[in-house]
Amino acid sequence: MQLTIRATGQDAKVISYLLAKNPNNLYERSVNGHFIRMFYSQFAEEEVEVTFFVTPDPIGLSSNQSEIYDITSYINDREFVVSSIFCTFLRTALGTALNGKPKEDYVSWVNHSFPLEFSFGPLASSLSNQEIEELFQPLGYEVAITYGEVDYRVNIKKKSTARYITLKGLTTLQKGLRQLFILIPVLDNYKHYYIDEKEIEKIERYGEGWLDTHPQRQFILKHALRFKEVYSLVERESEEKQSTAVEQKVRLNDLRYEKIIQKVNEFKNRETIIDFGSGEGKLSVKLGFVDGVKEILAVEPSESESIKALKRFEKVQEKENFVMPKQIIGSLFYYDERLKNKDIIILCEVIEHIDAYRLPKIMRTILHDYRPKVLLITTPNKEYNEVYQLEDESYRHSDHRFEWTREEFSDWCETQSEASEYNVTFDGIGEEHELYGYPTQMCIFTRKEL
Amino acid sequence: MNIRLPYAGIVLLVGPSNSGKTTLLKQLVNNGQILPSEIVSSDECRVLVSDVEFIDWTQRPNDEAEGLFDAYQKISAEAFKLMDTMIETRCRLNKLTFVDATHLYSDDRKKYISIANKHHVPIVSIVLDVDQTVLLERDRNRENPRGSRRIKQQYQVFKREKRFMKKEGYDKTYFLSDTDQVEIFRENTNPVHLDVGNGIDIIGDIHGCYNELIQVLQKLGYMKNDEDYYVHPEGRKFLSLGDIMSRGPKSLQTMEFFLRHVEKGLAYMIDSNHGWKIARWLDGRKVTLNYGDELVEEEFIQFEEAYGIEKAEQLKHKLKQFLLAAPSHYVLTKNGVPTLVCAHAGIKDEFIGKQSAHISDFCRYGDNEGLDETGKPIRKDWTIHHKTKTLIVWGHDPKPKPLIMNNTVNIDQGVVFGGALTAYRYPEREFVSVQAEKDYSEGKSNPLMELKKKRLNPPNIAKFLNGYSVLTETFGEIKIPKEYAIPSIDLVSHFTVPIEEMIYIPPTMSPTPKPSALDDYLEHPKEAIDYYRSMGIERMVAEKKHMGSRGILFLFKDKDAGFKYVGRETLGVIYTRTGRKFFDEETEAKILSKINKALTSKDYFHQYGTEFVLLDAEIMPWNLKAKELISSLYAHVSENAILDRRLLKSKIERAVGQNEELVKWLEEYKDKLANAHVFKEVFQKYCWEINEIDEIQIAPFHLLAHSNETFFHKPHTWHMEKNKEFASMDNLFIETEYMVIEDEASEKEVVNWWNTITKDGHEGIVIKPEPFIVKSKGKLVQPAIKVRGRKYLHIIYGMDYLEQENLNRLKKRNVGKKQKLALREFALGIEGIQRFVNGESIERVHECVLGTLSMESDPVDPRL
Repeated sequence: MQLTIRATGQDAKVISYLLAKNPNNLYERSVNGHFIRMFYSQFAEEEVEVTFFVTPDPIGLSSNQSEIYDITSYINDREFVVSSIFCTFLRTALGTALNGKPKEDYVSWVNHSFPLEFSFGPLASSLSNQEIEELFQPLGYEVAITYGEVDYRVNIKKKSTARYITLKGLTTLQKGLRQLFILIPVLDNYKHYYIDEKEIEKIERYGEGWLDTHPQRQFILKHALRFKEVYSLVERESEEKQSTAVEQKVRLNDLRYEKIIQKVNEFKNRETIIDFGSGEGKLSVKLGFVDGVKEILAVEPSESESIKALKRFEKVQEKENFVMPKQIIGSLFYYDERLKNKDIIILCEVIEHIDAYRLPKIMRTILHDYRPKVLLITTPNKEYNEVYQLEDESYRHSDHRFEWTREEFSDWCETQSEASEYNVTFDGIGEEHELYGYPTQMCIFTRKEL
Repeated sequence: MNIRLPYAGIVLLVGPSNSGKTTLLKQLVNNGQILPSEIVSSDECRVLVSDVEFIDWTQRPNDEAEGLFDAYQKISAEAFKLMDTMIETRCRLNKLTFVDATHLYSDDRKKYISIANKHHVPIVSIVLDVDQTVLLERDRNRENPRGSRRIKQQYQVFKREKRFMKKEGYDKTYFLSDTDQVEIFRENTNPVHLDVGNGIDIIGDIHGCYNELIQVLQKLGYMKNDEDYYVHPEGRKFLSLGDIMSRGPKSLQTMEFFLRHVEKGLAYMIDSNHGWKIARWLDGRKVTLNYGDELVEEEFIQFEEAYGIEKAEQLKHKLKQFLLAAPSHYVLTKNGVPTLVCAHAGIKDEFIGKQSAHISDFCRYGDNEGLDETGKPIRKDWTIHHKTKTLIVWGHDPKPKPLIMNNTVNIDQGVVFGGALTAYRYPEREFVSVQAEKDYSEGKSNPLMELKKKRLNPPNIAKFLNGYSVLTETFGEIKIPKEYAIPSIDLVSHFTVPIEEMIYIPPTMSPTPKPSALDDYLEHPKEAIDYYRSMGIERMVAEKKHMGSRGILFLFKDKDAGFKYVGRETLGVIYTRTGRKFFDEETEAKILSKINKALTSKDYFHQYGTEFVLLDAEIMPWNLKAKELISSLYAHVSENAILDRRLLKSKIERAVGQNEELVKWLEEYKDKLANAHVFKEVFQKYCWEINEIDEIQIAPFHLLAHSNETFFHKPHTWHMEKNKEFASMDNLFIETEYMVIEDEASEKEVVNWWNTITKDGHEGIVIKPEPFIVKSKGKLVQPAIKVRGRKYLHIIYGMDYLEQENLNRLKKRNVGKKQKLALREFALGIEGIQRFVNGESIERVHECVLGTLSMESDPVDPRL
């Protein structure tokens, strides 16, 4: 990680005073085993070039990493790229320049604009070159970007993910550095320290005189502050317009829940309900308000989803007539005797996440062992993808193992019920298309003896 | 009078003071018939707790007498407490104990009866019935006379109680008036102990399958002599676990066979549920003959028709005696030490070596917990309570294969249900079995079929949710904590191949326990070799460690075999060490079909009589599975490192002329740039372009199992030979180089080899003890140690890891936890495969697999 500052013009040498660094000496400070270093590679009348860099202790750096036990905690780009870590390391070395507090004789130079060139890197950023340019060009810089090498024996990638940035412009040293101290962490999109309100204060200070008028101000703040909670202290997030596809999806989800709730209300027996693959608990929480329901078992194997669901349940726990769902860790691949003989089992958008060849066994467990009075299944209608203009053979969700046409689904349901004691009826959810039917299809298995 | 004393239990002496109890016991001690330590006496216990044997309060003023009486009562109470503790302890340990006290009141006696019952030992009473005049005379002559009033009083009580004693519930009661006329016979050996002698062959449930019985005896080496007895040339004997009759075709013949052989001392037989039922039926009790017992009755009717009623009655009588005499269990001893227990349906540790009605009942039926919906008993797993090292061999509950569980072996393989008749050779610990000629049950509630049908049922999640433990043969009990079991359930529910196809997850492997003693190495073969030598292992196998991704290949002979074993018509499955599918569907299908064709054309399945092959392998190249990791991590890091270091190097180079001090930094960055280039070179070493499946390489290093056996008893040299065999069958398989380490010369050779290949960038080698499973001083030894090369480790420990200061710190690594996990996962892996091959339920297999997956959620340094 390195930053080279090059000044040209007749006053170039003043830079050394603004930095408070003697051009005849090397600078080296050790912080917890990491070396912060500086040297001048040019100190002439009309050209000064100085490089600051850090030689980190890789072992010390990795032991500060998160507790995730993964090789990426030990092998990663942090010891090479410019980042918030780099800025923290350099803060002391560049203190005089950043604060604009040189020796009295040079105070007047603090606000003097020099023809300056800042080059820094390597940079690991998810931003495109254009996005990077959009950050610096409004500040009056010419931006040049070079790449690392990708001369691999095998085709690993087309372009390197290591970039080196050079900015050229007429600016004061202080302002230039302050801009970098805000923008390097924005580019890197990773902060190594805890971000709280203090960060806002820093941004206000370093951003003085340029950030407020920057066309990318909102973007910079968002990336600099990283967390919604902190960011919202600065300003309210303006409502972003959601794309129509997302809108449709959200609406379909709601319609699906609505329809299921409506169906459940129609069933005579609805005291005990199992919501299989309950995820974040969106359906379970709605079932909790259905009249006549006494027990909801929300079955979900994922702990993180279950925690989200619990939060959702707890929010409405105190409301009248709410039946708190009981969370059960489990899945369709195991047998759980607590699920036997309930009124309703719901598989809402579940089966398409399971390899088709595993379905017979699951259906056997449900229909023969658990024996609910009603089994309700929903799954996407593949034909309707035409309406969404999905590419051929692509699924609505990357984890879908299959999506069925209406015929495939009904054929399958009929075979399941053939050998068992259930009648099947079909229905659809969403806006019906005259050719392709409903976006979501639904099948209800009802035990014959009832 | 003759008195017969049991081997263990309580001998209760009853009689007033001076009736001669102590004298009788002294006499027996002097004769050497009993040991002084076998006597527990109230008088002695009084001395033990209070130093006095007797307190005389007569002839004292009232107030003093009362005080002394109180003191005496208190001492007595404590003395009896001590006495009871001693007696109970001795009963628990199955010892014989003579209780020397008056025992005049029925409550005192009943206490001992209940102690005896509680600990399943017999109790006999010896009642000394002596005239009052004699008692009084003896009292006058003793050191501490009890006084005539007390003696008279005691005598009155004794006379009153005497008549009840017979019915109080002793196994035997003896009345003596003269102790001189007594002759004592004592059982000196435990009647259920059997010396192993020249060896004993334990035979599982026969159920009238006489033909199979004869076949198994012949297979065991028994030969029919002139008198129609089956004898073993080496003097071995056979022992039946009971249930020799009912359900099958030739119950009568089988019973007669055992009757003759047991009478002749050539065989043994223990009690069992069917045996007991038939015995009671023969005894004329009212019993319902069902579950195949009715067939025995039919055979008797036929016998009577053929040979007449007299012969039939005679045989019935003999068989009744024989069956009623069968002990609940036998304990086999080697040099007097109990080493093995035979019980029909099961036994509790505290019952071993004892006999009682309750024990007999338990051994006949096992631990039952009510009846299920169809009226069949729900069998509880008694084996989990078995804690001692004694091996228990049992039958009763048919299992498809001999089931080894928590130091117990079930050898009922359901011959009558079309399974097999199993014999267990002891002390050789070998199984010998013959297949049933047919299914004699004619499909009527066939437990083997039931098991088969249920084998693939989804596992009951309740077993795992709160954490659980797995009993492994190799490592004993392995606990799986809840906090790791639950994420694994999630993993299995979302990402892995189906539960029934994921029968094995490979164990993790530890690097060398100690870092290299050499300055510039982190790992070196020497430390691995030293580790094994310190465990007493002299022969090791060093195998080249390929750098790809671990893959498990579960390959079926054909789709039918797939359906039979995992319930899906498939040629197999290839999955990663976390249970995920290794390839996309299309590639997997191509590979499976290619391998299947190759193996089939070489007649592999037929030649080895197997329907599947389970292989543990490394699959290359690395980029097959790790493409994303290579691109976003390794390539990314190397690009940034090289860019950073190259630029700094050139910047310093430009300035070095102006400042001498910069030379140091320049040197530093030259080295660092070189390190970054090594890093870049190393990770590319394991990558190549894949256009055709032919460019994929599979290096199997363990042939884990065939459908009929596992190969954990084979040395690694054998597994390497198998590797060669696979490599010769299809070009997807590649051969793995290996060397044997057995002395200094071969050690040196291995080190040289390691140096050569790792300099070239190969990952390294794995050193294993030659046998698959090795224990040292009773403890399992690491099954393998990896020794990675200096170059390779750049991509694990970072490109600058060899800088002295970094290396010194990295050498402080601790592999303790990794080793702990490696052993447990190794044992779980073996256990799961063995269970699968033995035809056990997928739930029992999954228990092991989920266990390994759970261990892998236990965080450990990923660089190890």
